[in-house]
This record gives sequence, C-alpha cells and structure tokens, in this order.
Amino acid sequence: MRLFDPHVHMSSRTTADYEAMAAAGIAVVVEPAFWLGQPRTHAGSFADYFASLVGWEPFRASQFDVRHFCALALNPREANDDRIAADVVALLPRYLAKDGVVAVGEVGYDEQTPAEERWFAEQLELARRFDLPVLVHTPHRDKKRGTERSLALVREIGLPPQRVLIDHNTEETLPLVLRAGCWAGHSIYPNSKMDEPRMAALVQQYGGERVLINSAADWGISDPLKVATTVAEMRARGIAEEVIATVAWDNPVAFFSQSGRLDLEAGDATGNAFAGNTVRRG
Amino acid sequence: MSDPAAALAAILRQRRPEAFATWLADASLAAGASFDRTAFELAFAGAGRRFGTDTIGGGITLTGASGRAWSIAGWGLDDAARALLVLGAVAVIPEAAQPGFVDDLYRAGASRERRALLRALALLPDPQRFLATALDACRTSTLPVFEAIACENPYPAECFPKPRFNQMALKAVFTGIAVDRILLLATRRSGELARMAADYAAERRAAGRPVPADLALLGAP
Ligand SMILES: [Zn+2]
Repeated sequence: MRLFDPHVHMSSRTTADYEAMAAAGIAVVVEPAFWLGQPRTHAGSFADYFASLVGWEPFRASQFDVRHFCALALNPREANDDRIAADVVALLPRYLAKDGVVAVGEVGYDEQTPAEERWFAEQLELARRFDLPVLVHTPHRDKKRGTERSLALVREIGLPPQRVLIDHNTEETLPLVLRAGCWAGHSIYPNSKMDEPRMAALVQQYGGERVLINSAADWGISDPLKVATTVAEMRARGIAEEVIATVAWDNPVAFFSQSGRLDLEAGDATGNAFAGNTVRRG
Repeated sequence: MSDPAAALAAILRQRRPEAFATWLADASLAAGASFDRTAFELAFAGAGRRFGTDTIGGGITLTGASGRAWSIAGWGLDDAARALLVLGAVAVIPEAAQPGFVDDLYRAGASRERRALLRALALLPDPQRFLATALDACRTSTLPVFEAIACENPYPAECFPKPRFNQMALKAVFTGIAVDRILLLATRRSGELARMAADYAAERRAAGRPVPADLALLGAP
C-alpha cells in the first residue's frame, strides 16, 4: 500500500530517514512550514526556508522516489515575535504562488495570544486569496480550548470547513473537529500526543472519513515511520483495508488536491524528472 | 526566427493556443509599458500550471545575444513561458535594475523557476551582467538546477572566467553528467582544464573506482 505522510518536517531529517520512509511505503510527504528548533531573528531566514521547501527539499526527496510538497506560513510560535512577524507574512504571497505549495500552514494557536490570533486570521485570508486549503496546528497546552477557538475563527472568517485540516487531535478534540466539518489530523509520536494503539482505537470508533495520520517528525523525539507503524497497528486490529487506505492515502490526497497543485505524476514536486545518478553515491 | 521572444511566443501559441491567449491577457505586463511586479510574479510562478512541463522537442533553436544559435529541444513549455516573461520584463525595467531583478527572481525561485531563468540568461541583452547569478547556480546541489546552467546552455562558455568554467566542467563530470552536454566546450579547453581532468582520473584510479569514459573530452586539445 502506498502511504502519504501529510505532516512531516523533513528539513530536520537525514537522507537515511528518506531511505527508510521509502522502504516503508511512504510515497508522498507534505512538509508544513514551522520553526527550526530555535526562533529565527530575521525575516530573511524565512525567505531562505521557504525557498528550500520549494526547491532543495523536493530534490532531496526525489532521490529516494518520495514526492515532497509543502505548506507555507508564519507558524504560531514565531507569530509572537513582533520584530519579524509582519515582514514574514509580507513575504508569503510571493511564495504561496509557487509550484509544490499545496496549503497554507502551519497556522493556529500555540499559547493562544492576541498576536497568534491576528496572524492566524490574516493567513486564513491569504488562503482564501490564493485558493489554498489550510493546515491548522493546535496547541499542546490547553488543547481543547485552543481547538474550539480555532474552529470558531475558521467559522468567523467564513472558510469552508472542508478546506481546513485541524491537526494534532486527541480523543477529546477529534469529535469536535469532525462535527465542524473539518478534516482531522493526528500526530503519532513515540511518547507524547498520540500513539498507535490509541489511534487505531479512534479509527475503530469514528471510522476513516476525514481522519488523517502523520508522524510530524521534527527536531524533537519523533519517528518519521509513524504512518507506517500506525497502519500496521490498524491492520493487526483487523480494521478493513479500505478504511486503512482511506486514512493513510485517500484522505490526504483528497484534502491537498483542493490546491490544484498536488501533481503526483511528474518526477518531483516541482516537476523535475530526476535521472538518478550520483547523489546517492557514497 | 532570430528574435527569441517572437520564437518563444510562436512555440507557446502553437502548442497551447488556449492557455497562451488567456495568459497573454493576464500577463499583459510582457508587452505593456508599465511593469507590474505582482502580476509578473504570479504569472512567472504559475507558468507550469498554465502550460505544463512537456518538452519543446524537435529541431527548435534560439539565437542568443552573441548571435549564436542553440537547440532548446530539452526546455519545458514552462521554461519557454518563463523565458518569454523575463525577456518582456527586461525590455521595460531600467537597465541598471535588471541584474538585481534577475538575481532576486533566482533566489526566491522554486526549482523550475530557477532552471528557466538560467536557461534564458544567454538570451538577455549584454548577458555578462548576469554572471553573479549564473556562478551562484554552479554552487547548488540541486542537480536539475546545476544542469540548467551547465548543460545545453551557451552561457558558461560565452561568459564564465576560465577558473569558474573549469570548476563547472569538472563538477559536471563529478556529478555524472555527460561531458558532451556542455556547449562550446571546444572553445574553452585549456592546459589547466586538462590538468584538472588528469588529476581527477588519477584520484579515481587511486581509489579503485572507474574513470568516466568521457573525461578525456575535457582534456583533448
Ligand atoms: Zn508540525
């Protein structure tokens, strides 16, 4: 089965990770823009980061036959830095127009500050202007409240819920997100947020419709194979193959296809056929 | 046809007549006297979605600023559209601003945007002015971008200083690119390039690795 990891920070991973992911069946990844392990102090750092997400990283992935797409945004954490926030958001229109950009994200709340709300709302408007779906990060602390506020802001701005993916869900937030008509992502971590048995139980309870799973793998303790290990757990519990395929492939394809830019045919996310020669050379 | 803009427009009109007609209206900047940077960037970024990435193919050549013609069979239709846009922009923005404009587009470019820019450099007036961008491209590890400057492109042979041309040629061999894809190589052969090729062959032999069969092409007089 071909697998899709709809939220994974490949910039933090090595080529050995790409190799392992490809071997585990992960054929497509979406890398949302987030922080880089420590706060950036110049808006220009984001310009280079965005350029990397539409250039270097898709090429790196293509060497392992993994298709790499991205979502771009000012993330909720760095939205709190008023020395850079406005300049970073001003960069976005230029980059949101590019090939390989299949969503605006991650936007959302972290500490649920007024600054976060301002840039969350402005970037929801950008998503509307560029006709892109949105990937919404939900806070790890005070999660239920943050998720409710995220859903309320989406409603207030008037974005159609089917164009919004609310991520990092738990047992408490998943039913809220499904009831609102949005898509629900789940980040499967080695020892926080959500694990494979709990995730499989959620799929047994709620079914696969509008449910997605991801590894979110970044600089923290994380594992880029979590989509594959969660699929194995679902299979071990006897969840139907078609439900597993809905969660691990069909749903992310359907969600990001709303961008009109999820081109799964060409060589890499920016359409480069890669001849495959020396870069894998030791 | 020796006017590259006219030749590129003809290719797009013939291959994608409907896309071309609506695109020209959106991208009126290409012909208009006032340059709209925002409209330009949207058209430039979206060219692949408008025209697709099929290659031009066939025996189509363009004539560059030096008067030399070369084949653009390997260009994508999106490359043709982006090159046409850049030619249009360079025709209307002040001369002194052009190198900065091209370099900024390159730095912010997605892979295929960067490729298209590099392929178009030799078409621009007084192409030597864009040398810094071309040299920067030689330092990339994104192979399709490196290939766009090093292969099927007359720009390096026409504009690079000798040490930079030699480094590019050796990097091409090093990354597995066939030497005969470097245009006008015969005009840039030198004793220094031959020495570098010979040293590289010796390094490969010492490591017990095969020597690329076409390495000799770098050194042959
Ligand atoms: Zn994330």
